[in-house]
Amino acid sequence: MIKLEGVSRVWPEFAIQDITLQVSEGQYLVIVGPTGAGKTLLLELLLGVHHPDAGRIFVGEREVTGLPPEKRGIGMVYQDYLLFPHLDVARNLAFGLRYQKCDREHTQRRVNEIAELLGIPHLLHRYPYTLSGGEKQRVAIGRALVTEPRVLLLDEPLSALDRGTAARLRAELKSLHSAKKLTIVHVTHDLSEARYMDAPIALIKEGRLDALGTADEMLRRPPTLFAATFFGAVNLYKADFAETASGPRVVAGPIVAEGGLAEQGSHLMIHPDEVVLIPNEPAETTNHLCGEVTALTDEGNFVAVQLRVSGLPAPLTAYVSRHFVRTNKLELGSVVTADVNRAIHVLKE
Amino acid sequence: MIAPSGQLGAREASKRGGVSAVSWLLVFIPFVVVFLLIGRYLIAAAVLAVTILWAVKDRKSKRLPLAPLAVFSVAGGLLIFFIILPILNLLFTTEMSRVVSTALDPAVQSALAITLSAALIATCISLLFGIPLGYVLAREQFAGKSVVEGIVDMPVVIPHTIAGIALLFIFGRGGILGAPLKTHFNVLLSDSYWGIVLAMLFVGLPFVVNQCRDGFLKVDPRMEYVARSLGASWLGAFFQVTIPLTRRSLLSGAIMTWARAISEFGSVAIIAYYPKTINTLLFEWYNFFGYTYTKPLSTLLLLVALAIFVSLRAVATLKRAEY
Repeated sequence: MIKLEGVSRVWPEFAIQDITLQVSEGQYLVIVGPTGAGKTLLLELLLGVHHPDAGRIFVGEREVTGLPPEKRGIGMVYQDYLLFPHLDVARNLAFGLRYQKCDREHTQRRVNEIAELLGIPHLLHRYPYTLSGGEKQRVAIGRALVTEPRVLLLDEPLSALDRGTAARLRAELKSLHSAKKLTIVHVTHDLSEARYMDAPIALIKEGRLDALGTADEMLRRPPTLFAATFFGAVNLYKADFAETASGPRVVAGPIVAEGGLAEQGSHLMIHPDEVVLIPNEPAETTNHLCGEVTALTDEGNFVAVQLRVSGLPAPLTAYVSRHFVRTNKLELGSVVTADVNRAIHVLKE
Repeated sequence: MIAPSGQLGAREASKRGGVSAVSWLLVFIPFVVVFLLIGRYLIAAAVLAVTILWAVKDRKSKRLPLAPLAVFSVAGGLLIFFIILPILNLLFTTEMSRVVSTALDPAVQSALAITLSAALIATCISLLFGIPLGYVLAREQFAGKSVVEGIVDMPVVIPHTIAGIALLFIFGRGGILGAPLKTHFNVLLSDSYWGIVLAMLFVGLPFVVNQCRDGFLKVDPRMEYVARSLGASWLGAFFQVTIPLTRRSLLSGAIMTWARAISEFGSVAIIAYYPKTINTLLFEWYNFFGYTYTKPLSTLLLLVALAIFVSLRAVATLKRAEY
């Protein structure tokens, strides 16, 4: 288990601010965020090569805040592998065992086990410069695992690999995680990677924890505006408060969010796949919006229909099937009614 | 797709072959002129010219168009010629029997031993202090860093006779540090072996420090982080990872420092004329007996320096292919 309690560290040009996070034993946590958000620095704070100005870090029950990296029992794998170029693969793998006072025989056995686990026994006597990216990353992961760390930190481990290799290694990481009951913190900027790992996602923005949730929550009910934008929300509108017939509500133009003011909303998000388009029907009730089709984009599995709705500051996009477009003869300039009742999500700033 | 590109390649190659004959001539003519002017170095120069032409012809990069390449090759070739001509002249016009008899002279042997060993000690000391300084300069940002880097480079630009005099004021008989050293430890640096080491250290230090710094700059600090995550202490990571990865820079820094120390004369002669280093001896012979008399000794020293230089360069480049 890892726990960060209000961890802050200020550098002249950047700051990690007040990060509180917890990863339970054997759990997988994915950290995402834009470039320069401080994801790697956060990992390095965990690793212990930087020390926080404030806050505390725990690994298991033990506080490690002031401990050097070698006393933390945390393994680290970087995007660019960083294999020791002066050592062959076997000696790279065995590097960590030097410090565990292992005899030669035990070292040999551990190296072979790890090589077997990662499918690299044939590479043991090669030097890093002769390996492909995928092979290098396997060696790097093996080197980190050989000392049996309680926690493994992965800094964009798949970003430098081609798609096929990355997909294979991604699956191996997932099975390694469940087989070894490892606690893993995995930094990535690739959303599909984050979703594939099927793990809680922590979103980092400018050195702060912006949002925490599952991939599904980040996509369907993003807690913050930044999370919504980062995870590619399509229909986002600035919202206001207004008195309506049923009391004060969060509204954006003609759209009115149901429910009270439980959430102090600043923006409304409309899921494009929950918008119901109804042709040839006048918009009379709340959240039935009348719009004119301004664009039809074939996205492969669905068609994105863009509507201009009076009162809305930006166009509204709805996803429909090709069949729907064909049977209802949708084309540019068609007027349709969009029912957004089930598609509304209220966001915080 | 493969066949046409193959043809194109062949055509291009033949075109290059045609033009390169002209470039051969262009490069060759100045050498012919040089040969005519200094006929007695004909053989040496011819060997050099052919080597350069051969290198230019078989160049792999092919980035420069042929005309500038030819001109630049000539300019560069003349420069190389300028370096190598006096050296070759010295080597080929000295009677080897006289070199051998000079080498057997006890005064020469002792001077040579003093020079080589003092230079070696100066190199070791400069490594001992230069590695930590180079590491700090490579890894840390601090106020006044560029001032420190400037100070490190100062011995390169200060005339070495002045360096000798300046050192004498500190370490000489009545110097700030020299006087207490004499009274308390009975150590005298002026006109002593350790004075020679001191002068050599002063002029050689910049090379080690700069090479160390450049070497450490090439090692990703995260490489050390990984080593530490695997259980290495800071010192362990430094010696198991950082030093092995910079050993070529360290070695070339050491070679440069040692070579610089061996060749030092100005400051050494001022701080410690005695015991005589090989350069001091050479200078003395030149003053008393004239330059022909010093020729065998010069050749001897040249051979020694070249041998050290070549062998250490070979060691430094030995494992280059690995990373």
